[in-house]
Amino acid sequence: MKKIKDNFEALLPFLILAVLAVLFSILTGGRIFAVGSLRTLVKQTLNIIIAGLGMTFVTAMGGTDITQGSLVGLCAAFAASIGADYSIPLAVAASVLAGIVSGLFLGVVNARFKVPSFMASLAMLIALRAMVSSILGSRSVILPEALRRLDQFNISVPAVIIMVLLIYYLFNFTPFGAYCRAIGENENAVRFVGVNVTLMKIAAFGISGLMTGIAALFVLARVGGSSNVLGVGFEMRIMMAMFIGGIPVSGGSGTKIHKMLIGAFMITLLESGLVMSGCSGSITQLVRGIVLLAVVYITIQAKKRVLAA
Amino acid sequence: MANELLKINHIHKRFGVTHANNDICMSIECGEIRSLAGENGSGKSTLTGIISGMQTFDEGEMILNGQPYHPENSLAANACGVAMVVQELGVITGMTGAMNIFMGKTGEFLRFGLVDVKAMEKAANAIFEKWNLPKVPLNIPCAHLTMEQRKMVELARALNTDPSLLILDEITQSLSHDTRSVIYELKDRFKKENRSMIIISHDLEETVEISDSVTVLRDGEAVTTVKNNNLTEDDLKHMMVGRKMEGGYLRNDNTPSYGTNVLLDVKNLSLKDKKLEDISFQLHEGEILAVCGLSDAGIHTLGSAVFGITDSPRTGTVTDVKTGKKLHKPSEMIACKGAYLSKNRDEEGLMMQAAIRDNMYLPSAGELSGGAGFTHPKHIDMHAQKAYDDFGVKATGIKQAIGRLSGGNKQKINLGRWLAKDLNYCILDCPTRGVDIGVKAYIYDVLKEQKAKGVGFLLITDELTEAIGMADRIIVLRGGRIAGEMERGTDFSESNIIEVMI
Repeated sequence: MKKIKDNFEALLPFLILAVLAVLFSILTGGRIFAVGSLRTLVKQTLNIIIAGLGMTFVTAMGGTDITQGSLVGLCAAFAASIGADYSIPLAVAASVLAGIVSGLFLGVVNARFKVPSFMASLAMLIALRAMVSSILGSRSVILPEALRRLDQFNISVPAVIIMVLLIYYLFNFTPFGAYCRAIGENENAVRFVGVNVTLMKIAAFGISGLMTGIAALFVLARVGGSSNVLGVGFEMRIMMAMFIGGIPVSGGSGTKIHKMLIGAFMITLLESGLVMSGCSGSITQLVRGIVLLAVVYITIQAKKRVLAA
Repeated sequence: MANELLKINHIHKRFGVTHANNDICMSIECGEIRSLAGENGSGKSTLTGIISGMQTFDEGEMILNGQPYHPENSLAANACGVAMVVQELGVITGMTGAMNIFMGKTGEFLRFGLVDVKAMEKAANAIFEKWNLPKVPLNIPCAHLTMEQRKMVELARALNTDPSLLILDEITQSLSHDTRSVIYELKDRFKKENRSMIIISHDLEETVEISDSVTVLRDGEAVTTVKNNNLTEDDLKHMMVGRKMEGGYLRNDNTPSYGTNVLLDVKNLSLKDKKLEDISFQLHEGEILAVCGLSDAGIHTLGSAVFGITDSPRTGTVTDVKTGKKLHKPSEMIACKGAYLSKNRDEEGLMMQAAIRDNMYLPSAGELSGGAGFTHPKHIDMHAQKAYDDFGVKATGIKQAIGRLSGGNKQKINLGRWLAKDLNYCILDCPTRGVDIGVKAYIYDVLKEQKAKGVGFLLITDELTEAIGMADRIIVLRGGRIAGEMERGTDFSESNIIEVMI
């Protein structure tokens, strides 16, 4: 009996994903799973997955990183301007480096100066957006052809698979991953086994920034150019993917990569499904909010029941 | 025969499959000091929780002063003259002591719609004076008070309800030797005023000393109630465990025995805030070096300071003699096969929501990982399973979350996960705090076994019997300085140590 209940909690995200899939294939008359729209759906999901992979470490520690929306914009602005004027490798390096620097900065502010990560990253979300505007002004930079290839399926899908495997390894099979989850469980316990918690936190935020820098390249490739509103709202999608997939807000052992992956598919399925079912933009937002609330509630209830058994 | 205050008839309480209280019958007279004894998980806290209205019961009845007594919550219990001080700390740290005491009753101090804080503080101080409790600053947030002072605030809150029955769950374990006398005086006064007390204490010596009668619980059942006529600790142990305990679970030799090699050399250790001053000692191979002192002597600060976690900058040196390295940070001591067990197991030791396996794994994460940090999950399982088996943890398996285990089992895991590591030395801060007698004996056995292997222990303890019973040497701290040092066999006695302590 216990086994079934245990599995029920683990299976819940899959179940919800399946329910959404069935619901929207009925509502759209199957159009959502036509090859064309399925492609779009997967492409949108990949961006969320890349940034989500990085943020998983932060979430596992019980922290939050919501800089991605503006950071994607900033990295993309660097990449697009440098790519247009100089070389492609330099553009890639600039984007990744900007991500890492921002992540490490946030990590230091949070771990060393003890500013709660939610507030610190909220402040950076606002500040970084201003940097994007001052770099780009109101102009849009068109992306060089070479970088656009990142949007092709035969490049983006293998690239994301490799990233998932690498992060999966780091998160599940190394002490670093274990320490990140342990910090979410009890930070003091980790400090008292002699681990440098400050360093771990900075590293986790650094990885989050790095992955956002990489995600920026793919977002850029998808959109085709950079503007000062690129990436607005991206951080919310990533957060929703985390929590809709069943990762506990407090982090810890319940943090699993596959939950984030499922969450990422759920969130894009929900968005595209609603649009294709003919909902207006504002209704879409409302439904997204309601679904997020409902899913988080169901997940908490399921967990409670398992604990009580 | 004196008047009967509380009668408990056939109380049952179940949590899922656990029968926490099974058909408990008990009766308490006016002016009686009753102790509840029993191992962890025997149902003591559940029973007191029911009496004080914090929990409901499934079957049975309670009669207080001849009236049926079924309190719905602790406020209802208070109104009937039953109050309780719980084991865990129950003050709100952001509020002042006075606010904590009068929580829910601030209406009494309303003036023009505002709470008259001054009047409330005065009333709070009056309670302290009335019951002769040691002075505690009541006008500052409780966060600035010591654990002991917070306990006093809780005690004052309970006493303010003018209880005819006061329940104290493990209150003395958070008090130092000198403050415990407050409880003893309170007890005498209760007897004189024909009030009753129910006391839970893991300290059997204390139990025997202060109570008129003892009810022994085992596996949720009230096994027996005995009058305290020349009751001995051994009698109690026997009744609690249900089998004859070997009386000497402490050491039975009377001479110090340790190697000549020094493991850890502490020289002139001081903290800038003067909580520790100029402390030097050496820990030898196979030695148990106990550290004793009163509550403000800094014995617990010493443990974490040697480990390298302090609130205030540290001066002096801590040297790992085998490698010759100077240790500054926890990671350095751990790299030299040292370890530290905090007194606050739940806050600074274990991850409560996580599985036993993950808790066992955490201190050994470095050793279990290979190239590129790769750690095979099977190796973690094997490591955890071995420590689990070696230390006789009672649970459904290594996948079980730690949160619901008994204190004794948690401590076995806490200690086991370090000792599984092949240590050179280990700092233990109150390793037997809040664990039952069976686990305590077990921990002492483990220490003796590890000592024979050459592991050195710095045993920081509030219990003199533990220090006298286990140590090769004892250093006594007073006001953050070393006040005395004793060798086993020569001057080990409680009175000797207390003399140096105060």
